[in-house]
Amino acid sequence: MAEFSTAVKYRGDVNVIYLNGFLDAHTAPQLENEFSKLIEENKYSIVVNFKDLNYISSAGLGVFMAFIEKIRENKGDIKLTSMNDKVFNIFDLLGFPLLYEIFKSEEEAVKKFNEIKKLENE
Amino acid sequence: MKITAVQNRILNLTKNVKFQLFLTAAALLFLFRLFFKPDDVLMLQVINEILVVTSVSFFILYLLDFLSKRSFSPVSMVMNVGILNAFLFFMMTFSGTILTGLFGDLSLEESRSGLVYYLVLFFYVFLLLISFSYFFITFKEFYFLKQKKNVSKHFNTMIIFILLASFTAMFGEKWDLEYISLSFFFISILLIVINSIKISWIAFIVKKEKLYVLFLSVIIAILFIVNIVNASDGNSYKLVLDHFSPSLTTFFKLIMIYGIIYYSILFFTTLFHLPTAEVYDRKAQEVTSLQYFSKLITQVLDFDELAETVTDIATKVCNAHGSWIVWKADNEFKNIATKNIGYVDVKLMTEYLHDIFINKADEKTEIVTLEKFNRRRELSEDYSVIAVTPLKAHNEIKGFLLTVKKSDFIFDEEDKNALETFGDYASVSIENSRLLEQSIEKERLEKELDVAREIQRKILPAAEPQYKNLSIASVFIPAFEVGGDYYDFFEIEDDKLGFVIADVSGKGISAAFIMAEVKGIFESLSRTSQSPREIFIKANEILRRALDRKTFVSAAYGIIDVQKETLYYSRAGHCPVLLIRGETVEVLKPAGIGLGLTHSKEFADALEEDTIELKGNDIIVLYTDGITEAKNSELEDFGEKLFEQILIENRHEDAGTISKKVISEISYFSKNYPQHDDITLVIIKWKQKLLNNGDKEWQNLAPQLNTGAM
Repeated sequence: MAEFSTAVKYRGDVNVIYLNGFLDAHTAPQLENEFSKLIEENKYSIVVNFKDLNYISSAGLGVFMAFIEKIRENKGDIKLTSMNDKVFNIFDLLGFPLLYEIFKSEEEAVKKFNEIKKLENE
Repeated sequence: MKITAVQNRILNLTKNVKFQLFLTAAALLFLFRLFFKPDDVLMLQVINEILVVTSVSFFILYLLDFLSKRSFSPVSMVMNVGILNAFLFFMMTFSGTILTGLFGDLSLEESRSGLVYYLVLFFYVFLLLISFSYFFITFKEFYFLKQKKNVSKHFNTMIIFILLASFTAMFGEKWDLEYISLSFFFISILLIVINSIKISWIAFIVKKEKLYVLFLSVIIAILFIVNIVNASDGNSYKLVLDHFSPSLTTFFKLIMIYGIIYYSILFFTTLFHLPTAEVYDRKAQEVTSLQYFSKLITQVLDFDELAETVTDIATKVCNAHGSWIVWKADNEFKNIATKNIGYVDVKLMTEYLHDIFINKADEKTEIVTLEKFNRRRELSEDYSVIAVTPLKAHNEIKGFLLTVKKSDFIFDEEDKNALETFGDYASVSIENSRLLEQSIEKERLEKELDVAREIQRKILPAAEPQYKNLSIASVFIPAFEVGGDYYDFFEIEDDKLGFVIADVSGKGISAAFIMAEVKGIFESLSRTSQSPREIFIKANEILRRALDRKTFVSAAYGIIDVQKETLYYSRAGHCPVLLIRGETVEVLKPAGIGLGLTHSKEFADALEEDTIELKGNDIIVLYTDGITEAKNSELEDFGEKLFEQILIENRHEDAGTISKKVISEISYFSKNYPQHDDITLVIIKWKQKLLNNGDKEWQNLAPQLNTGAM
């Protein structure tokens, strides 16, 4: 059915996952794999860039919930960025802005991670 | 008739009974010989011969039963005859010396008497009997082996003549009637020749065995000749036998002649079969492989199992040392089955062949040598040549069947042809297997979805509750893949109506089960609490524990207090509640996180509950995203705007009509695009509270009056 793809880019200690296409019950396992891989490598600072995501279903939203606890336990976080209005609306309805930090741009999210890092080091 | 009945009865006796009968006959014969000298009196001679024939017959019958339990290959039977023949040869060669040593000159009658003599004689005859009976049974087995027609008639005729020749032999010496015995004897030989001519089983053994049989048959034929020559001169063995029973001597002679004839013919037949042996072997192999394979086409439900079998047969078809299959997946060729070859070797050679795979366009089997393979040394075996056979499905090369041979072996033209033919078969069945797998999976999914839809249907309310001041309508249209929508009404007291709409994340049967759970939760909570917020906080507590981390439920819950004309509502991550009041649509969207997404505190902190005083003709609309996200063929959403517009346009209708209108607009909008999520719509229209006189004043009331009534 709908096409979906992911790409991962490493920006220093922060890992950025780019989503493309339609994220629904059928394509959600792809994103799950991506998260599992990062967690296996102990990479817990994750930014998800929604710039090219056209659609997200409830099953797609579930993926973020599946990993967030583990990631936060390890002092990491998932930060969401660059959503179009439609996608943001779906996140918003469910109350995700209360659970996740959502940024306008990837830069801001990465910057946030780096600031936290700095604070920790001091 | 009677004779056949008797014959059958004798044949059907158990093994033990036959042996006992043989022992009895032999014992009688022994006693008879001990007391009478049958040489001169015809009557005694006849009795002697009858006893001999009876003993021999029962022994052969016994042995036949004894051996029929085991099955020997033709080659081992040939060998066994050879061994017994050798044994016979030694027995005959040394018996003369031993017997003469024990009893003196055996041509003298005085030597041939006494209990010891008879004991030794019987033992001696018994040994011969074993050999000859075994020969006879083996010849019979050979004769019937791989015979297409029922030819027992010929064989039985031969047995009758052999018996006649044996039995009449006693008349020859003393009564000058030798010609009777002799004619039977020659007819028997003629029949033996006829019965030996067609040796069909030789075609069914492989080349190696044929060579072995060729070698054995010539030696054994010579042994038979030596043994019969040994028996025909004045050997003590012949003397003893002649005096014991002329029938037995003739019988032995005929068996030996049978042996000579059969093994000579066997030798020549094998010789003639040799040049074509290899071709025959291969053809036989192909035939069995293809038979085996065509059977598999209908049987194999398991793709992996089928792939295993294909590699297995591929090695046999072309006598290769190993075989594997690569199958295209995501533009990569992956090994899916191997036979007689290690994974590391397969990996190395698959890498080497990669370019060939990509450039291969025709269906021919291609032979690739490994001479130029720079990593050939890393292979665990000395593989030298690979045959690459494409496997096609829908006229597209989907994979390759690889067969590999070691150094000094080649793939010849016939191997190539066999592999190509086999490749076609393999392609068809692999394709079938894949299609079957897919359709089974599809059927399973459909069954599962049927169950899910059934659960959903039973969970949703059968009818809307009836309230005096409320016009209530609900529509639910399930998607093919059950979407997990749920709505319900709770008649709390006479004047309070609770209602909920929810959407479980995910689809299918798992969503349906969670729906059932959610229904239970709201069903019970609606009785204990009259605050939507409280109900949600408790529901979240339960669902947080019950659901796995990635599953959640969005919901909106409202309570209408008819007396107080008030709506209390909360929203847990669900689509907003719409309130149509006059020409405006109020989007009621109090803050709240989806159920099951977070722990109680965070959930409770975020959750709001709002209150609205209802006015006449207020329309409360609850929906799931199946409505706003319904798509047309351009993949555009139905959207909130259009939805609200329809609601406003139809605000004067009752709830049922409004809902019908909305649904018909949605179906029109997305007529060219399949519905992919459940659609749920609940419309509750508030009719103004009844006036004191009981008139239904709400009907067609102007909006300004409406406000006044509050």
